[in-house]
Amino acid sequence: MHYVTHEGGLYMMKYRVCTVVMGCVLAGRVLAGATATPAAQDILAASDAVRNPDYAFGVTTTLIEYRAGKQTDTDTLMVYSKAEPGSGQFRTLIRFVQPVRDVNKLMLKNGNEVWFYDPANKASIRISPQQRLLGQAANGDVVTVNLAKDYKASLASEEDVDDGDGKRRHCYKLALEATSPDVTYPRIEMWIDETNNHPVKARFYTDSGRLLKTAYYRRYREELGGVRPTETVIIDGLDPNWVTVMRGSDYAKRDVPDAWFQRDYLAHFNAQ
Amino acid sequence: MKCRVLGAAFWLVCGAAFAQTSDLDALKLADTAVVKVEAPRDWQLFTEAAVGQILATNGLGSMANNRWSTNAQLSTALTDRFRFIMADRLDVTSKNDVTGQSAANTLKEAYVSWQIDSHRFVDIGRINQLYGVAMGYNPTDYFRAGAVRSVVSIDPNSLKDDRLGSVMVRGQTLWDTGSLTVLYSPRIEDRPASAALDPDFGATNNRNRWLLAVTQKVYRNISPQVLLYGEQGSSVQAGVNLNAAPTDAIVTFFEWSGGRGKTQLAEAFNQAGPVDFHQRFATGLTYTTASKVSLTLEYEFDGAAPSHAAWRELRHAPPGLYQSYRATTLDLQDLATKQSMFGYVSWHDAMVKHLDLNAMLRFSVTDSSALAWVEARYHLNKIDFALQVQASSGSRASEYAPTAYHYAWQALARYYF
Repeated sequence: MHYVTHEGGLYMMKYRVCTVVMGCVLAGRVLAGATATPAAQDILAASDAVRNPDYAFGVTTTLIEYRAGKQTDTDTLMVYSKAEPGSGQFRTLIRFVQPVRDVNKLMLKNGNEVWFYDPANKASIRISPQQRLLGQAANGDVVTVNLAKDYKASLASEEDVDDGDGKRRHCYKLALEATSPDVTYPRIEMWIDETNNHPVKARFYTDSGRLLKTAYYRRYREELGGVRPTETVIIDGLDPNWVTVMRGSDYAKRDVPDAWFQRDYLAHFNAQ
Repeated sequence: MKCRVLGAAFWLVCGAAFAQTSDLDALKLADTAVVKVEAPRDWQLFTEAAVGQILATNGLGSMANNRWSTNAQLSTALTDRFRFIMADRLDVTSKNDVTGQSAANTLKEAYVSWQIDSHRFVDIGRINQLYGVAMGYNPTDYFRAGAVRSVVSIDPNSLKDDRLGSVMVRGQTLWDTGSLTVLYSPRIEDRPASAALDPDFGATNNRNRWLLAVTQKVYRNISPQVLLYGEQGSSVQAGVNLNAAPTDAIVTFFEWSGGRGKTQLAEAFNQAGPVDFHQRFATGLTYTTASKVSLTLEYEFDGAAPSHAAWRELRHAPPGLYQSYRATTLDLQDLATKQSMFGYVSWHDAMVKHLDLNAMLRFSVTDSSALAWVEARYHLNKIDFALQVQASSGSRASEYAPTAYHYAWQALARYYF
């Protein structure tokens, strides 16, 4: 998910600017002993850059779903993502690897345009963003997203919270409000480690404030040129016994042509 | 007042503590997850066994209808730039009527795809070329005529899956916001073949045909597709496919085709004319709820179908004429009457995990006949179990109650290798 897992990077330039700005702010704090806090939007952008590289990439994502402690489903997906030059938002192409009944089906997400391709009949069907193809994970959960592109962040507080591995972390708590109609979740609360901008956890809400799900970002390791979370644990907002583990593997930088991200390409998809 | 504040604070603290505990439990559970990453594969194979009955309402009793099917699909790289794509299905059907046991092999696809570069492709061979954004009726699906060799279900998805492709050479070029497709499909044989293993080129390639399709993004996520289609001895047909997602839960679609041609009655009875401009279209929307229920409603119009008066006349004509016309419309996969409504509901994980419910209703606005189909499908890791029931209503020789039987059911099991 890169919503919740491997997420989007920013533009290189913007990220560099952001990093420089944050670096200056942090340096200023050290030198002056001040308590100035970087802008919330910059924190969010830096957190995006932790989750996602700033180039096109591929990753294999395995989703394991549990209901009441029992494993009920396993899906394996190959995910290809590339930022759109204009908006900076990621477009994602997903190939289904498991279960066997869905082998080689494809899902393409480009903004709020979602296509589903079935090799059995070569038909590309447009589906709504709400039309789920997986279990608990929404389509928006398995695609790569730069949150800073679609949300306005404000700093709600600074808190000590336990991360997904049970360690105490001092975090910025950001409140995110959607600025784009194309997003899966209207409101998000996000905890980001103050020392390294690692996303720690997030809560996703409906417009009316109902908790949809909680996500923990964990298993940080070196991937795609940075230390990134490789696992997201998603807990349902209504039923906490409904848990999905999304784990990434086989990360690779991939030269994905822009022409792949349209309906008429899907019949030719040929990932090696 | 103070008590209320204290009470609220107490419940907030309790709620937070509960959330913390449940999060910890979930994280502990996640710690035990063993992730076995499956390698991608370039094939899919399943076999399916079905038992069923067709129930007549005119005193003819019931007829057993059993089937065994095997379906294979392959898309494999021959070299860096060449792929071979193949799809085939074999149906062996057993009925306790005069047809007895019969077999039909459907060679759906067998072609080689050459990727010239990342934007250009040339394909040659038998290709299932499907166009159309509507669900129940696709007037721009120009290669549908004669394509269904063995009907195993009236579900529109099955009719699109299990059909013959046409032999063609197809070129496609893609750019960042659109594509251009050009194809030519030659005449190979004049008549369909009935032999079980015959590739049946006569069903799909009995005249020369060509098609040109352009897709271009014009605004945000709106990319209309424009088609031109021609076939030997007929006027060029134009087509448009358009869809949009006005909200997170709704997709709307519009599919149109028009051009000069004969009426379907003239086509069925092999008459020379008259030749007029006719249009066909299907439009509607799919709405998805948060609980995984998708509902599609579609209005369908076929301008080449008979008028009310002509349809009434045909229904009261000698049965042979009606049957001949219905055989033609089934083969062309066009509507028998001018206007129809179509509804389709899909409910994934319907109250029970892994249980999918699907239902379809077709209704003729012209003669008020209807056809309903319901499926309950339960899937395990590699096995599907399904029960399908279909029923039609309407007076004799109407659009959706054309035959002597009105009810049918089949139960099936499918195993994926």
